[in-house]
Amino acid sequence: MSRILVVEDDPHILRVISLWLTRQGHQVCEARNGLAARELVQQQMPDILITDINMPGMDGLKLLEQLRNENRTPRGLVVLTNRWDHREIGESLANWGVHVVPKPFSPSKLAELIRQLDEQQCVKTSDGTGAGEVKTCEL
Amino acid sequence: MERADRVSQPQSDAQGPAPAASPATARRWGRVFPEPLGVGMAAVLLAGLIGAGAVAQRTLTQQGRLAQQTEGQAVTRVFAAALGHLVEHDDAAAATGFQQLCGYEPRLRAAEWLRPDGSVRCRWPEAAGGAAPAAGPAPGGGQAQFSAPVPKAGGGAAGTLRLTFHFGQPPLPGAALLRDCAVVGLVALLGFLALYRLLRRHLRPLDAIQRNLHSYASGLEREFVALSLSDSLGHIAQCWNHMIDQVQRLREQGVASPAPDPAGDALRRFESRMLLSLLDRLPLGLLRFGADQRVTYANAVAGRLLGRSAQELVGLPLSEVLDEDVRAPLVGAYSRATAAMSIDRKRGPEEQQTTLRFGLIPAPPSCPDCEALVTIEDVSHLQEADRARDNFLYHVTHELRTPLTNIQAYAETLTGPGFDDEQTRRECYNVIISETRRLSRLVEDILNVSQLEVGTARIEVGEVDLVRLLRQIVQDHLGAADEKQIDLTLKLAPKVPKIQGDKQRLSVLITNLVGNALKYTPNGGRVAVTLEVHERSLEIAVADNGIGIAPEDQPHVFEKFYRAASPEVQAIKGTGLGLAIAREVARLHGGDIRLESTPGQGSKFTVELPLPAGGG
Repeated sequence: MSRILVVEDDPHILRVISLWLTRQGHQVCEARNGLAARELVQQQMPDILITDINMPGMDGLKLLEQLRNENRTPRGLVVLTNRWDHREIGESLANWGVHVVPKPFSPSKLAELIRQLDEQQCVKTSDGTGAGEVKTCEL
Repeated sequence: MERADRVSQPQSDAQGPAPAASPATARRWGRVFPEPLGVGMAAVLLAGLIGAGAVAQRTLTQQGRLAQQTEGQAVTRVFAAALGHLVEHDDAAAATGFQQLCGYEPRLRAAEWLRPDGSVRCRWPEAAGGAAPAAGPAPGGGQAQFSAPVPKAGGGAAGTLRLTFHFGQPPLPGAALLRDCAVVGLVALLGFLALYRLLRRHLRPLDAIQRNLHSYASGLEREFVALSLSDSLGHIAQCWNHMIDQVQRLREQGVASPAPDPAGDALRRFESRMLLSLLDRLPLGLLRFGADQRVTYANAVAGRLLGRSAQELVGLPLSEVLDEDVRAPLVGAYSRATAAMSIDRKRGPEEQQTTLRFGLIPAPPSCPDCEALVTIEDVSHLQEADRARDNFLYHVTHELRTPLTNIQAYAETLTGPGFDDEQTRRECYNVIISETRRLSRLVEDILNVSQLEVGTARIEVGEVDLVRLLRQIVQDHLGAADEKQIDLTLKLAPKVPKIQGDKQRLSVLITNLVGNALKYTPNGGRVAVTLEVHERSLEIAVADNGIGIAPEDQPHVFEKFYRAASPEVQAIKGTGLGLAIAREVARLHGGDIRLESTPGQGSKFTVELPLPAGGG
């Protein structure tokens, strides 16, 4: 199972993603904007990062750029967006191995994508501790 | 081509310009030089000849007099030398010799041999006595006196010889000289006349062109006259004939005005000026250019948009007027004679960027050599409208997608495996219901603000009791205020007149203001709603002691979808439509809305609604 950081400013979306991923046995960490997410990554590198784009403070694209500059890019990257230019965003981020998921999305399909990423990268929690929990990291 | 062939066949100059020339034209052609000018030139030539003769005569007379003087001097010296010899051989015979010598010179009138002491030793003629004639040659001929010492053997002088001559007038230049002058003058005059005639003949075509153009411009003649090919001006004649060929061709195409019509010409000139003036006032820049890619016309707007005056643009090559990335496609389309096209190009620095749209109106297919028009339009405002539309759509889709995402995700969770516990199911139902309401409100708000902005909102005007309306709205919000322990108060003026307005929309206005105040005021705060009556207006104020609005955000809070970027604001749900709707409703009622706010201390929104005259 993976350590997954979910960055989303809408609490309901954040909650439903956590519900589905936790049920799959992942360790989920939540952040409400890019700044908070960056600090969490500095504390502990997640295996997979799921982030919204439009958020107050630091948006998702800025967060990805900063993590890349700091060489702290998680091995799996998923971007959620409700922007209508999500195809262009996907093309521009393709080289980074980023998966772009437009809103509204199906949580089951998102969970399936995370499962595939988890398997492809063989990202496993070392001791299984914390699996199936939602870790809320309020900053 | 027909005319060019004719021109290439030399015609006799003596035949005059062309068979087509009318007798009147031929007569006029005879006056290349005005005759007084020819006569004047001949007179100057004659006067020059006479003057030269007079100068020659005077010079010759002076030379004659000089020769007489030199001769008198020489004769005196010779006589003195001869007397010296006589004195040396036989002093006594010298007197006789003196007399004989004097007799030999016919022009001699008197002679005296003076001793060194000045007394007269001999005189000739011996009978003559008295005073000697005046010295030097007399002016205008007559007597002249010369002296010379009589030499003596062994040095010294045996006296002085003084001779008085009578010279006649110096010989005048003879008839031969006058004859020569006359001959030369005559030859020069004849030469001049020949040259004059030759010049007249060669300059005839120029005169013809000048008079022909004048007549044509005055509307007196309809046809130009072709010229013959002379030796010296053949090229000019050829060019002239080529030009009138072109005019003829234009006429055949119906471009040139066929009938001489001075009144019509004046009207056309007036219309032309009017047209140019109108073209200058078009909100569209116009450039005309031909096959040589040079600007032949530019209106004032084209000059302004391209940063030069219209006059400066005319005559410039297109490459100096338009950027290469604009010029090349336009000229390409021109040369291919394709249909109209347009290119947008941004200009200027980022903050003052304008977008110019360059278009080409090609020459009509019937006239591929005709000039094409480049149109230049400032489409910055259109782009601004496009940006505003895109921005609106961006925000609308963004706002709609969030509740849709929640509804879809929670519905799927509700039906998905593994979420069977009661708490999760209840949570899902609640989110679906609240997000559906949110979606519904959002759609209504978007429709409202759009209709209000474009003026298509349906208004139901009636009598509105604001006191009752405010009490109702405050009552409806007491529950929400209690949840945050906010002190929500209503203060009404004692006597409030009823107004005419749309009750439903005024209710939305006040609800949005009160709802915002409760949203952005922390727990335990205060929200005060007041209604004041002034002489000509009513003022509804909603004041809170909430988070306030930053000065940089205040000018924008009434814009659609605008939300302050501060984390405090972003943490609270909102679409940025409530205040935009509030302002539109206030304006719809002839009033307006204003904001006073201090960050950290609170905000006060005041709606001013006008009262009918005498209604206060």
